[in-house]
Amino acid sequence: MRISVKKLATAVSTSVALMAAGQAAAEIKIGIAGPMTGPVAQYGDMQFSGARMAIEQINANGGVMGEELVAVEYDDVCDPKQAVTVANSMVNDGVSFVVGHLCSSSTQPASDIYEDEGILMITPASTSPDITERGYELVFRTIGLDSMQGPVAANYIAAQNPDRVAVVHDKQQYGEGIATAVRDTLKDKGIEIAMFEGITAGAKDFSSLISKLKQADVDYVYYGGYHPELGLILRQAQQAGLDAKFMGPEGVGNKDINTIAGEAAEGLLVTLPPSFDQKAENQALVEAFKEKGEDPSGPFVLTSYTAVQLVAEGIEEAQSTDPFEVAEALRSGTFQTPIGTVEYDQKGDLKSFEFVVYEWHSDGSKTPLN
Amino acid sequence: MSEATLYFIQQLINGLTIGSAYALIAIGYTMVYGIIGMINFAHGEIYMIGAYTALIAITGLATLGIAWLPLILIVALVCAMIVSSAMGWAVERVAYRPVRGRHRLIPLISAIGMSIFLQNYVHLAQGSRNIGFPLLIDGGIQFGSEATFQAQISYMQITVFLTTLVCMTLLSLFISRSRIGRACRAVSQDLGMANLLGIDTNRIISATFVIGAALAAVAGLLLGMYYGSIDPLFGFIAGLKAFTAAVLGGIGSIPGAMLGGLILGVSESMTSGYLSGEYKDVVSFGLLILILLFKPTGLLGKPEVEKI
Repeated sequence: MRISVKKLATAVSTSVALMAAGQAAAEIKIGIAGPMTGPVAQYGDMQFSGARMAIEQINANGGVMGEELVAVEYDDVCDPKQAVTVANSMVNDGVSFVVGHLCSSSTQPASDIYEDEGILMITPASTSPDITERGYELVFRTIGLDSMQGPVAANYIAAQNPDRVAVVHDKQQYGEGIATAVRDTLKDKGIEIAMFEGITAGAKDFSSLISKLKQADVDYVYYGGYHPELGLILRQAQQAGLDAKFMGPEGVGNKDINTIAGEAAEGLLVTLPPSFDQKAENQALVEAFKEKGEDPSGPFVLTSYTAVQLVAEGIEEAQSTDPFEVAEALRSGTFQTPIGTVEYDQKGDLKSFEFVVYEWHSDGSKTPLN
Repeated sequence: MSEATLYFIQQLINGLTIGSAYALIAIGYTMVYGIIGMINFAHGEIYMIGAYTALIAITGLATLGIAWLPLILIVALVCAMIVSSAMGWAVERVAYRPVRGRHRLIPLISAIGMSIFLQNYVHLAQGSRNIGFPLLIDGGIQFGSEATFQAQISYMQITVFLTTLVCMTLLSLFISRSRIGRACRAVSQDLGMANLLGIDTNRIISATFVIGAALAAVAGLLLGMYYGSIDPLFGFIAGLKAFTAAVLGGIGSIPGAMLGGLILGVSESMTSGYLSGEYKDVVSFGLLILILLFKPTGLLGKPEVEKI
């Protein structure tokens, strides 16, 4: 009896191994890594929905070099430790192309592993400049940088001639990076920064901070971070009677901020990538999302779609699935994508990317201001 | 009043509000420790479940079209207390009773396991996103209006103070006057002896978990409304803070937990008010280390007499 079980096990494992080997010859794995769970999972939803759509459409059009793209999805919970674990499993799973990660603080440590292991990574959402500052060959993004987004916000605030501005951040790579960019630009323009202070991500009580903002008598508060904290700050500030205009980066521009802040979200200013889903040339794609019952209007849906498309076109261009050759093809080529014409500089950053200031409303809609 | 005084008063109010809620949660840690000498690491999750239950009850009543505020609050409070108490009881039965009397590490680990289980259960059942609490108690009293700064105590803050005060008074009366309260004190002095004298110690231990859980549920409802949003992980930080408060005041001592909570809340708000929010946790945990160095039993704790 024991022998037959062993034989069976050997047979099964051999056939599984054969199947795996057989599949590997006819498919290209695309690793998608982002938060499926955790406090910022809704951004992950955007990312996964965009990337899945791109893979589906590319496969429907005959795949890449005759091979099919296969999505392998990983949940990093937007946690740097988890991101490293995810990166290591990508290596084990033999993934050569990654679309992700989402949070800058996850992308940074994961990209160290990808670079070492020869895996090409395109992040559709991480805006921290540090990620592409390290001279890595295999790191790209389909979104702008904090150093572009910060000045857009700061210029807008400066144009309103405020007396005093406070800059608050969540001490994370993304939030603090962008808050620093805003502070520096405002200082250059001669505007008084009344306060530059960090809070703890995940904190819920902001009453002390709000009393302090009230005492500092600020006109504008810039917040670098994500919506769970800013939503609470807005709500508690309204209750405490703080009369200041709030502004944040694309990390706060999410409908979930309305469920937390309610009425207090009205009039919040947000810098976001332009609404790619409003562009005339993307309407067919927008329809495809709507048919699947998905919402293409999130800021990272089409950037993720583009990331997958770039991997596919890079492979076609290079006529190779070697990540280094694909990276070279991406650097030298010009690509037409849903986010516009894409060209890369040596660092792997987009040569041009534009952020727009929006006014957010308490029903979750937004109106462009510039 | 000058602006500086008003600002100080404002930060004091902020600190006392949050501190009294910490105290409510800290009671659960301190009572369990006082009786069986164990730290209930799943207590933060019980508090979180209390907040979720309250929110579900409030949403349910809103769908039924009931808009009378006192009724909503009472129903939410009662639901949260019942569900949390049941949870507290179950945690004791599942994670503590089977391993009671073993090596001290075993119940500790089983409690941490329970905490992870409950967190992930709520993750799955309610989703991992932040859920907004409806704004039920709005407005406040403004006072000492200066040109640039006016202090305000919101009705929500008053609600937190008053509820905490009522709960603490009831608890003190219960512990000092009732039969179960007397048995609790006896068990905390000497579990074996209390057992010999005919006290059903299992029942008393269950009762401690239930009382602690019910108070945590009150804190869950209050803080959920005060903050404005809840998520499955928010019990962890609150639990850590309340545990600190309990140790600060002297673990095992009920007045100590109250004092510890208030001190922790005020020190947090003063640090973020006068220094920077970044140093909030540094100062409160630094304070804990100092107190433990110079008075290891906490502020109001009694030195442990070795039982023979």
